[in-house]
Amino acid sequence: MEIPYIVTPRKDTGLTNSKIAIWLFLASEVMLFGGFFSAYVFLRIGADYPWPERTLPVLPGLINTFVLIGSSVTVVFAWASLKLRNWRKFQLYMGITVACAAIFMVLKGVEYSVKFSHQAVRLTDYTVLEGHLGYELKEGADSHHPKAEDYEKDHNGNKIEENRIRVETSALTFNTLRFYKPWIADLLDQAKHHGDAKITLTGDIKGIKTEGGKEEVLFKAGTPLSVDLLEEIQSLHLAARSHNSALRTAASRVEWDKALAANPDKQGWELSSEVNVDMEALKPRFLTEIQSVPFKVEPATRFIFKPRDIREAATQSRLRDDTVVDGKLLESPMVFHNLDAIDFQHLVMKAEEKGIDPQIAIQNSWIMKNSEFARKAWEWHNKKVEALEKRLIADYGFEADGKTPKREPTHKERYRLGWKELAKMAEDGGMAKLSFADKMKEEFMGPNYAARTEKTFPHLSVPREQIGFASKFAPAWNTYYAIYFTITGLHGLHVVGGALVLAYYLFFGRKMYDANPEWLANRVEVGGLFWHFVDLVWIFVFPILYLM
Amino acid sequence: MSAHATPHTGHDAHHDDHHHDPGFLRKYVFSTDHKMIGMQYGITAMLFLAFGFYLMMVMRWSIAYPHQPLPEWMSWVFSDGWKSRWLQDGKVTGETYNMFGAMHGTIMVFLGIVPLGFGAFGNYVTPLQIGAVDMAFPKLNMMSYWIYLAGGLIMCASFFMESGAAKSGWTNYSPLAGFADGQIVNQWLAGQTQWLVGLVLLITSSLLGSVNFITTIINLRARGMTWMRLPFFVWAMLVTGFLLLLAFPPLEAAGIMQLMDRVAHSSFFMPSGLFTKSEGLADLSGGGSPLLYQHLFWFLGHPEVYVLLLPAIACVAEIIPVNTRKPLWGYKSMVYSVLVLGFLSFIVWAHHMYLTGMGPVVSTWFQVTTVLISIPSVILLTAMIISLWGGSIRFTPPMLWACAFIPMFGIGGLTGLPLAFNLVDLHLHDTYYVIGHFHYVVAPGILFGLFAGVYHWYPKITGRFMSPTLSHLHFWPSLVCMNLIFFPMLVQGMAGFHRRWYNGGDAYLAKAADSVNVFGNTVRDHIDLNIIMSWGAWALAVAQIPFFINLFLSWKTGKKITSDNPWNATTLEWATPTPPGHGNFLEEPSVYRGPYEYSRPDCDEDYLPQWVAPKRNEPAEPVADKHDSAH
Repeated sequence: MEIPYIVTPRKDTGLTNSKIAIWLFLASEVMLFGGFFSAYVFLRIGADYPWPERTLPVLPGLINTFVLIGSSVTVVFAWASLKLRNWRKFQLYMGITVACAAIFMVLKGVEYSVKFSHQAVRLTDYTVLEGHLGYELKEGADSHHPKAEDYEKDHNGNKIEENRIRVETSALTFNTLRFYKPWIADLLDQAKHHGDAKITLTGDIKGIKTEGGKEEVLFKAGTPLSVDLLEEIQSLHLAARSHNSALRTAASRVEWDKALAANPDKQGWELSSEVNVDMEALKPRFLTEIQSVPFKVEPATRFIFKPRDIREAATQSRLRDDTVVDGKLLESPMVFHNLDAIDFQHLVMKAEEKGIDPQIAIQNSWIMKNSEFARKAWEWHNKKVEALEKRLIADYGFEADGKTPKREPTHKERYRLGWKELAKMAEDGGMAKLSFADKMKEEFMGPNYAARTEKTFPHLSVPREQIGFASKFAPAWNTYYAIYFTITGLHGLHVVGGALVLAYYLFFGRKMYDANPEWLANRVEVGGLFWHFVDLVWIFVFPILYLM
Repeated sequence: MSAHATPHTGHDAHHDDHHHDPGFLRKYVFSTDHKMIGMQYGITAMLFLAFGFYLMMVMRWSIAYPHQPLPEWMSWVFSDGWKSRWLQDGKVTGETYNMFGAMHGTIMVFLGIVPLGFGAFGNYVTPLQIGAVDMAFPKLNMMSYWIYLAGGLIMCASFFMESGAAKSGWTNYSPLAGFADGQIVNQWLAGQTQWLVGLVLLITSSLLGSVNFITTIINLRARGMTWMRLPFFVWAMLVTGFLLLLAFPPLEAAGIMQLMDRVAHSSFFMPSGLFTKSEGLADLSGGGSPLLYQHLFWFLGHPEVYVLLLPAIACVAEIIPVNTRKPLWGYKSMVYSVLVLGFLSFIVWAHHMYLTGMGPVVSTWFQVTTVLISIPSVILLTAMIISLWGGSIRFTPPMLWACAFIPMFGIGGLTGLPLAFNLVDLHLHDTYYVIGHFHYVVAPGILFGLFAGVYHWYPKITGRFMSPTLSHLHFWPSLVCMNLIFFPMLVQGMAGFHRRWYNGGDAYLAKAADSVNVFGNTVRDHIDLNIIMSWGAWALAVAQIPFFINLFLSWKTGKKITSDNPWNATTLEWATPTPPGHGNFLEEPSVYRGPYEYSRPDCDEDYLPQWVAPKRNEPAEPVADKHDSAH
């Protein structure tokens, strides 16, 4: 049995099977990306925060655009070479195509990794700060120029970002069902690491293990915490729970049978208040359910938690797996080693909603009250905005009424101090300028803290209670970054997938070429169509996400 | 090849039988033969349907007897541990009910009916009817099945995890679905997340399937099989393929975004300032749009209805001409209707969202398109009714089901009309009326159509008929029970019964026993219907037992067919040996005329198959066309 029209097109449709299939597949892909682009429009129109405009580095995106367009041309050359039966040239052009895909992905990878290490925080007054967090240092270390051995390390040997919730923990109570194993291991490590503390059972756990048995001590006070211990308690609890539940169910069935027999004319919902299971009678047969397990930490030790994992409170905090952490909440500020942007756009938006003068709202913000640097920067920035206003009037003049300027600085120009502006301010103030090479590097990697020093990008410690919402520049930060990562990530997967297929033809296509060169040409044509589609999507992605 | 050929067995008569026999795995498990894949789809889908049905039976207990422990004849399936986790002293809890409800819908729609209609029947019948050796991409076809199975198993596996399976409705609306299972630290082990992963796999599977189907239909038609000679079944599959191809991707986008919301903490569908009882102010950026999710969901959701429906209509449209011995009435208008239906189904989606506050202009637009789409649906149904007129009807088992399909689907369709108008929908939205409406479409409608298909093609697949006695034992109780379950829903819905009351309205009664709605109905008047409906549902389960016995028993013991074309049908699948071997046809078939040439006055017999070479005096133009243009 042979499927027809794999290599030669069917006469009346003029198409091979794979040609039809790829066009259908692309139609489906159009709908998929169409879904995402509609989502982009929907989210942007409905955004209730200042949509980040032109916020991504354009240069790498632009280079990627040309790389992809170039590869779309070479893939056609590769196909044409096959049609001309020139294997060497096919190899050359297909090689270039695959290499272009690699360049694209490398640039994309750099773009992503810069964002994943860049921190943003929205304060409770809606000021947005951006920068790099510091790492915890050992006591007495020079915070401005720390050496490698000055950093505090966690039990895994990693540096600890200064964005942790610290609790002077004296007791931990685990939920028998929901405790999260990796966290138990983590807590044990922390206890050992932060002062050799012991985590042990607070009291004896007593209970009945077998029906009708006597209450006995199941676990002695002082038993050290371990995952095995918790799992043993969990299995006892589960066994007791199913035993007790089965008893209650059986008793309830008996009661219902009695009630229904006694009241044949009544419906269940009318009887429900009359049917009650005598729990006291059942009690002697119950096994002990152990809902939670309390441990004490001796001596009380500082534990650190990632902010997302804990709901902190002054004396008793709760982890996401329902573990109760008793102990005093220690100061847990978020420390920017380098602050590289101050953004009042969101704050102004909120102020305008409430009818407050933006300038007053800014003056009252936490950062203006607490940071000398912010005040200076804001003053410098306002002068620049004034100059810009004058220049716009000089260049474009007024409307017909003679008062309203035709062009004014945008919201972003007025209320955002980005890293390039802070750099400009420092340079105006006498900082040495960067070399061209360093500047180009900044176009790809973002602000260069080492070269520009903390005079340009100062340190800043933000108290925990000022933090409204914090995140890396990741999908969580806002819907713009969410859609940006989703669309470009999916597009990246398409690039990788397409490149793998093309690379397969490049490296393993020889056998097929020898057997039936037209077949390989057809396949490369189909792969090339997909590649063009991947390119086309980028042509939409680039202006929408990078330029608009 | 003669229409009267004695049965060939596909395997013996296989034209390239010099191939060595493929091993068991290649033949039955990792098969690339469209017929085996069709059967794999069919059996898997029926298992999922049975499972989805079981979930519903438990829910019906909770509705009818909310305070009583689940009886042992239903609860024996669960382990003790599972019962103690999900039942409260044997009673179904609200959380469990939600979980079962969400999974019942998901399983029935995505894992049951679509794979049965499109995957099983589409796969088995389409290539045969167009005279193709197989699908255009056999390996892709196999992949499509395995991805479907993986998606389904991932979704169902979550029943056994600490989080339980998804429980935010089969529509999985955000922000509810975004928060559900939020307490699970490793989100990949949460039922709600696994639902999304499963969904993305299912969409991938149906994408592969639809590309394959459309390519096959366009490029692998036999010689002489022109577009207007395609059986209606094939047209319906073509349209279904396009619906799956174009409507599913936006849901995939939505699924990916919701997955991002869960695992990357983004806020695609999470508005600002969300506050929950358990977590307080959500630790999210906010700024997202729950409405966006609904748009993306229903952009699939509505075409999906036709993805469910068209294969069933397709089966019925094949069965009616065979059993009335006259051509399908209005073949061409049916073809054009199904094309228009396919197109319109893309622009009606927001009629599921009248209550979201989209605004009257948008609502009016969708109201208009929704009313428009009833025109092609009614044309399809009317054509089938008229096809019965004046026929010499053989009430074979498939024909019974096909005949029942028409009024049952009719009720489903007509009860949908009031819902199309947003003024009425404001009242009926989320009541049992809606549940009654779409269950009439899907259960006694679509499922009956598919049962008809099973009985109709079974002789081709196995070489034996299914037992008529058991068929009747299956059909009549099913017909009665279906109506027992779903008709009271329409009544209850108008009395204001909400679709998500896990205790059947009992809690509502306790609060507002005598509140009267705009129709003057009270909940108290209709709450007893719950019990009738529930018993109807359980009896329906019993009524399916003869079917499964029949399905497996007749394989070995059914009455043997005496010809490859036991129903004396005209379409190409009956030209194959029985069962068809790998490669389907003994020799490449040619097609000489339209698909429904029954009772031609110029023929000795009352049917003239598509593949029989014409005698010299046969007119060049197919008679079916003349018949069509006569009305």
